[in-house]
Amino acid sequence: MLISVKNEKCTGCRLCILACPEPNVICFNPKKKIVNIDPDGCKVCRLCIETCPEEAIESTDVAI
Amino acid sequence: MKKNIATISPGFEDIMPEEYQDLVNDGPYGRGLGIKNLGTFKELIEEHPLCAGCGLALAIRLTAASLPAPEDTIIVGTTGCNSILMPQLAIHNIHSLFGNQSSLAAGLKRALKLRYPDKNKDVVVMAGDGGIADIGLSPTLHTWLRRENLTTIMLDNESYSNTGGQESGMSCEGAVLNMAPTGKKFPKIPMPEIAKDSGCAYVATVSVANARRLGRMVKRAILVAREIGPTYLQIFVPCPTNYKFSTSETLKRAKEREKIMEYISSEAEKLIKEANI
Ligand SMILES: Cc1ncc(C[n+]2csc(CCOP(=O)(O)OP(=O)(O)O)c2C)c(N)n1
Ligand code: SF4
Ligand code: SF4
Ligand code: SF4
Ligand SMILES: [Mg+2]
Repeated sequence: MLISVKNEKCTGCRLCILACPEPNVICFNPKKKIVNIDPDGCKVCRLCIETCPEEAIESTDVAI
Repeated sequence: MKKNIATISPGFEDIMPEEYQDLVNDGPYGRGLGIKNLGTFKELIEEHPLCAGCGLALAIRLTAASLPAPEDTIIVGTTGCNSILMPQLAIHNIHSLFGNQSSLAAGLKRALKLRYPDKNKDVVVMAGDGGIADIGLSPTLHTWLRRENLTTIMLDNESYSNTGGQESGMSCEGAVLNMAPTGKKFPKIPMPEIAKDSGCAYVATVSVANARRLGRMVKRAILVAREIGPTYLQIFVPCPTNYKFSTSETLKRAKEREKIMEYISSEAEKLIKEANI
């Protein structure tokens, strides 16, 4: 499972950053004003998905 | 001491791990950052092995980002899920024998006042509900009754989570856990009321679902402990593993049962107003 941001839907509100129990995983890009998720540190808890008011975070099945 | 809590000795720049270099170049030391800056600087926790969706892990992450002076803070923890994260924290921290955290912190704070009379050294006790309200209750109470300059932060997951789910004094009446199958027979210990009656100048409760408020409470609790006397912050941090709910529900559950309370003594009120926090 891969958790990622749909750039076109993200408003850069940063609420997801305050919902993620993992440090340094969701980072804000000040130039593009959107966030990015580092899949290496993500534990797929889905708290960011539940928190995002724009439904801008998705999970996709990926083969390991 | 400011940013030089983390520096690289000359000649070692190339071989230090990238994560450490990030901490030196982009860490929060001495920069006055807070919750609102999360996601734009290198955080003080590198990574941690706590469960997915852990409310306690998020609370420590938010607390670390809210410390008014991380470079001059010493966190005293004790046995429990928190102690598995602490070794990964780039803030001075001490692991104490289970329940002994407040005694250790009080001695440390007094020693630091003597050793550094002109500097602020914030000593913060951060421990679980079992550590604070059960096994460590007596030392906790005595630091409050003695008006020690300590901040006590309880990570309240309402169970002994690290040992597989026994009930704690902070579990709710009727709570059923793996190792409390018949349900708890008495209500949650009223720690905020006890803290207030025992001399804390600032007492607050919040949940991990309220990040900005939590951040402000951490700052207030530490500032008041620095200047006036003991402070207590109780953070509700639901545990998906022992209460058996989906990891995606931690914040929803925190919000549903969140109790926000703030008691501020008149002396503390004045200080908070002056500091504008
Ligand atoms: C003196 C002592 N007694 C008992 C234990 C076993 N023990 C380890 S963690 C723990 C419970 C911790 O509960 P809490 O403080 O609520 O922290 P949590 O794991 O829930 O975050 C217990 C009883 C111990 N390590 N040391
Ligand atoms: S799924 Fe969980 S761990 Fe992964 S980015 Fe979202 S909140 Fe963080
Ligand atoms: S919560 Fe959603 S909209 Fe807000 S920053 Fe995160 S992904 Fe973007
Ligand atoms: S057992 Fe509960 S409190 Fe402990 S790490 Fe897992 S989710 Fe967090
Ligand atoms: Mg506990």
